[in-house]
Amino acid sequence: MSYTAWILLTGSLVGISCGLVGVLLILRKMAMMADAISHTVLLGIVSAYLISSSLDGGSMLIGAMLAGLLTAWLVQWFESTGIHSDAAIGVVFTTLFAIGVILISTSVGNVHLDVNHALMGEISFIPWNTVHLPVIGQIPQATLLLMIITIIVIAVIALFYKEWKVTTFDPALAASLGIPVLLMHYVFMTLVSVTTVAAFDAVGAIMVVAMLITPAAAANLWTDKLLTMLIISAVIGAASSCAGYGIAIWLNTSISGSMAFATGILFVFSYLFSPRHGQLAKWFHKPGEI
Amino acid sequence: MIRLLSLFESSNFQWVFISTILLGMAAGMVGVMSNLRQQGLMSDAISHAALPGVILAFLLTGEKQLPVLIIGAGISGLIAAFFIYGIEQSTRIKRDAAMGIILSVFFGGGIMLLSIANRSGGGQSGLDSFIFGQAASMVRSDTYVMGGLALLVMLLIFVFFKQWKVVLFDPQHANMMGINAHLFSSLYTFLLVLVIVIVIQAVGVILMAALLIIPALSARYWTHSLLILFLLSGFFGGFAGAAGTLISSSESNLPTGPFIVVTSSGIFILSLFFGAEKGLFHLKRYINKTALQSDGTSGGDEK
Amino acid sequence: MKKQSAAMGLMLIGGLLTACGDQEQQADESPVKVVATTSQIGDSVSEIGGDLVEVTSLMGPGVDPHSYQATQNDINALQEADIVFYNGLHLEGKMDEIFEQISGSKPVLALGEAVEEENLLTDADNPEVVDPHIWFDVPLWKEALESATSELIELLPEDEEVLEDQKNAYFEELDSLIEESENLMGSIDEEKRVLVTAHDAFGYFGRMHDLEVIGLQGLSTEDEVGINEIQQTVNLLTEREIPSVFVESSISDRSIQAVIQGAEQSGHKVSLGGELYSDAMGEEETEEGTYIGMYLHNAKTISKALQEDGE
Repeated sequence: MSYTAWILLTGSLVGISCGLVGVLLILRKMAMMADAISHTVLLGIVSAYLISSSLDGGSMLIGAMLAGLLTAWLVQWFESTGIHSDAAIGVVFTTLFAIGVILISTSVGNVHLDVNHALMGEISFIPWNTVHLPVIGQIPQATLLLMIITIIVIAVIALFYKEWKVTTFDPALAASLGIPVLLMHYVFMTLVSVTTVAAFDAVGAIMVVAMLITPAAAANLWTDKLLTMLIISAVIGAASSCAGYGIAIWLNTSISGSMAFATGILFVFSYLFSPRHGQLAKWFHKPGEI
Repeated sequence: MIRLLSLFESSNFQWVFISTILLGMAAGMVGVMSNLRQQGLMSDAISHAALPGVILAFLLTGEKQLPVLIIGAGISGLIAAFFIYGIEQSTRIKRDAAMGIILSVFFGGGIMLLSIANRSGGGQSGLDSFIFGQAASMVRSDTYVMGGLALLVMLLIFVFFKQWKVVLFDPQHANMMGINAHLFSSLYTFLLVLVIVIVIQAVGVILMAALLIIPALSARYWTHSLLILFLLSGFFGGFAGAAGTLISSSESNLPTGPFIVVTSSGIFILSLFFGAEKGLFHLKRYINKTALQSDGTSGGDEK
Repeated sequence: MKKQSAAMGLMLIGGLLTACGDQEQQADESPVKVVATTSQIGDSVSEIGGDLVEVTSLMGPGVDPHSYQATQNDINALQEADIVFYNGLHLEGKMDEIFEQISGSKPVLALGEAVEEENLLTDADNPEVVDPHIWFDVPLWKEALESATSELIELLPEDEEVLEDQKNAYFEELDSLIEESENLMGSIDEEKRVLVTAHDAFGYFGRMHDLEVIGLQGLSTEDEVGINEIQQTVNLLTEREIPSVFVESSISDRSIQAVIQGAEQSGHKVSLGGELYSDAMGEEETEEGTYIGMYLHNAKTISKALQEDGE
């Protein structure tokens, strides 16, 4: 496969996996958890490095996952003591991030584990960093990881589709139906962390936030049905990746930045033209529905 | 100990020390307002959204002068805040999602512009230090800027204290009492953006939110009086600034910003457990006061 | 601007079209496409290669390689390159891995790893970390270019003589650069031979010219400058009455400004010695946009500033 195809495939996988997870995030009103987890992942990566003293993917992934769960758990706990979720998220992620930065500057020393790259990511190099697989042949490492994660995400959402629906829209009902709401919450947070880490490695923290929140929010403007929303969000996610790549080529600029920016363009489009909740639609049937 | 004393004689240390105290105070006090309005993460969104403004200001003027960059940051921060409120009000998207959208899309745009600026030839170096912040290189003029900022914040808070109190706790009644709630809302947004764009150079985009959120949150565990809340939050912010600077000066290669945040979190944990009003070890009082507290937390919620 | 983007588009379409079957095409006439990361490498290699090569440097003037971000054009260049030269020793940070990967499909040479290891400098506190800024030691740089030339010869065996001649001509220029810079630097007084810069880029320069080198930041510009470093530097400037400090073109000058003001406060007036080119070179088409020109600029700036009497 050519270079461009790999980039587009990787970007689309990020778009799809994040788009799917993002819908649930938005509906559960936890959009900023994405921002928090994408930052605290740094602490996970640094700790994993300090413990295993290697920069290989596996330990990083586990470290990042644990950091994501720690973030979710801390935020949950602070909220349970009566702190507003906004503030709880703010306290947790900045603190964990600060600890990550301190660890880098004190213990990791000059080893090249830099904050800069972790935050920006570098999708442009992905196609060159390949592994060899038996049947498929050469495949970029990050793309492979994203494929696996995307499959997991789809599987977890599809298998427990009903449970997700109930816990998301009506947690009280879910509890009375005997669905383990808290467990679902942590399963979901694990899903968010894993997706974040996989995408993060490819495109950096900021891009992950854009991909998790923006396509889902745009999809939220198109439909009220969960399934449709999931599909639209995944499509918007993948489309933004491709559009972003186009913009990056056109302006000769950072690819991941452009992809984040492209999600914004598609959001603006949805904001204006969505038949259900778009601004133009509202203009036409002025009073009445909102 | 002797080393510590000699530290205080050094003028570089003094500048950084005083500046971080002042900026901690200013951020802490403005943070009280954003926490009461339950908009803690607005600071995070605005600080990320300031990036494209900084780079654009550089690209348009070719200047790397701080005032130019700050104006750029301020404009794009204000636009971001405006968009967030706009999305929240005109669609069914919740505020936190709106913040996430604006934060990431603006920042992505900023990275695009930075990449273009990098290609545009010499002179752009150091623009990205705006993202990560460099507290240690603050000089005398920074001290004056931070001092001016802290003074302005205090002045605006204390002169209009009565009005703030109504606007923050009971916005519905503000108009009835002849207070222009809209004006104060805008003033608050202006203050927030101002503090962010000035403090950002010291601690960077990511840790900015901590300076606004944590001191104010900690202060809530000690008092219910708005006046004391402001003072205490300012004090916590200043203290964290001082302690963070001291710790990071104790050895080589320690970053200042993260230590300020960690100190601040330490204060928060202490307050959470031992706070005289709502600390976990004062559970009984906490339950008794739920009625009081609820008008504090949900009062600021505008719908 | 328009023209540029049109050309870019064309290049791109061309690139996409040829991506599949470009193996046979690059036969005799067209020059060998060389991609270099830093412009120091790019300039030197294009001097040696002459008309035989077409060099693209990824990191332009003012770009800090430690925090370089690739653009699509850079990627295209890398893809179409016949040979890639990079500095290595972690100068390009994360890109190292990428070059290792690319080396499977085309010749790739890390100049920093092609020289004798014993000639490399290591970080004082951390012996595993090697100073990557090897181009500041001209003899060492020649050694690195020697290997670069042999790589080129391997690619163009018929042109061996031409390449050797061009290399020798360039090395002569480098020899006179050594002489000239040594003259410039030699005239500085013993007690003033201290070079204070924003980050530790000048270790090799200091070793070659017998200067003590102090960088506020470590070898990479990623580290934040600590208050302690600033303070220690101010103390040192004051104690030893060093007249000047220097800013670098690819790094923010804020920390150096803080040092200057700090020293002034403690009663020692330090002047800004000028701007040095450390990791990046000057604008293209200028004197400082070439390796020799930027080296001479640095040598002149340093010797002029350090010879001036402080007080």
